[in-house]
Amino acid sequence: MQNMSQKPKRGWSLRDVIFLAIIGIFFGVIYQVWSYAYYLIAATPLKPYANDLTLGVWIMAGPLAGVLLQKAGATIIGELLAAAVEMLLFSSWGAANLISGFIQGLGNELGFACTGYKNWSKLGLLFSTIGATILTFVWDWFQSGYSEYHFGLLLTLLIIRFISIGFFAGVLVYWIKKLVLKTGINK
Amino acid sequence: MGKRKKHLNATILTIIMLGIGFQIAFSRSVILNVVVTFICLLYLLYCQVLLRKVLIMLLLAFPLAFGSWWSFIMFGTGDTWHSAWIYGSRVYAYLLLGSMLTLTVPVKEILISLSIHIKLSETFVYGLLASFNLLPRIRQQFKLIQYSAQMRGKSYRPWQPALYLRIIIVALHWSEDLAEAMSSQGFSEGFPRTRTFNDPLPRWQWGFAIIVIMLYFSAAFLVSPW
Repeated sequence: MQNMSQKPKRGWSLRDVIFLAIIGIFFGVIYQVWSYAYYLIAATPLKPYANDLTLGVWIMAGPLAGVLLQKAGATIIGELLAAAVEMLLFSSWGAANLISGFIQGLGNELGFACTGYKNWSKLGLLFSTIGATILTFVWDWFQSGYSEYHFGLLLTLLIIRFISIGFFAGVLVYWIKKLVLKTGINK
Repeated sequence: MGKRKKHLNATILTIIMLGIGFQIAFSRSVILNVVVTFICLLYLLYCQVLLRKVLIMLLLAFPLAFGSWWSFIMFGTGDTWHSAWIYGSRVYAYLLLGSMLTLTVPVKEILISLSIHIKLSETFVYGLLASFNLLPRIRQQFKLIQYSAQMRGKSYRPWQPALYLRIIIVALHWSEDLAEAMSSQGFSEGFPRTRTFNDPLPRWQWGFAIIVIMLYFSAAFLVSPW
């Protein structure tokens, strides 16, 4: 991808930004399709289940950016860009979009950082999904009041969350990366 | 810009939104959530945001607030009624806090204001602005991707990697074209540029932001009403 070009690996070129923003807008369009399902469940007491079940889709943008651009900071910036797009074009949640985007991106980023930004494949993605699961859960502990739920529900939610993040932000991102490599568009 | 002279600057609104938004997550007060909601609502009315727009937004968020509220009645521990009202009203506090920025200032002004006043990188500002113009084309392209799959008797679902491959290919092509187009029109990264956009930020607004954020802090964590 972009990392093959002559641009320095650390800096952000206009093209990188536009590339991630366009992907972010596509995600916004996908979310709109999905949000109906979320909305139906979220209007009931099953709302925490709806949150955790769909969380993986919401945080895909970060690890996808990381795996495609393969540089430090790509994950968190990718997720923040997607959150900014979501906030500016698709919703009026504002602060909630940006702060949770930052937390999600940070969780994923820490995972890749654990491998010293050397592994962008299975191991990096595994760490990244674990990081995101833990950090977003801690955030929801305060922000969504998970501290008030009883233990049984919490445990179920944590497992559902890891499965959702593990699939969408882990397995699916890995498949996408393999597909991208196979087509050779990264030269 | 003139008619909005008496409004808060987009940068100040962003700082207030993040400064209070972050604290709301840790505050456990129904009263404060309601106060934040009402103050933001008053600001929206002051800025003459269309009443219908505000009402639709409030109505659309109701099921979410209700779902939160109900889930604590069902699964909560301790003072479930208090929790239910905290997290139900929190949905509205967040919504109104965000809309104070997103409903009163156009996207372009938010980004340019951030680049002027808190030095948000212009590569990001103009990169985002340029891509936002693509929104209608991206919607169109998303439909095209699905139609072309249907022609081959398939349909893409959000859990299928092929959908994202198509998206990535489009994003690669378009980002390259757009970045080239911008540099050929004279956009050079990291260089100063002439500004035609005037975004005044009177100094008192910085003070106002700090005071509001500190006030919220002391109300939420020192007084902490019900």
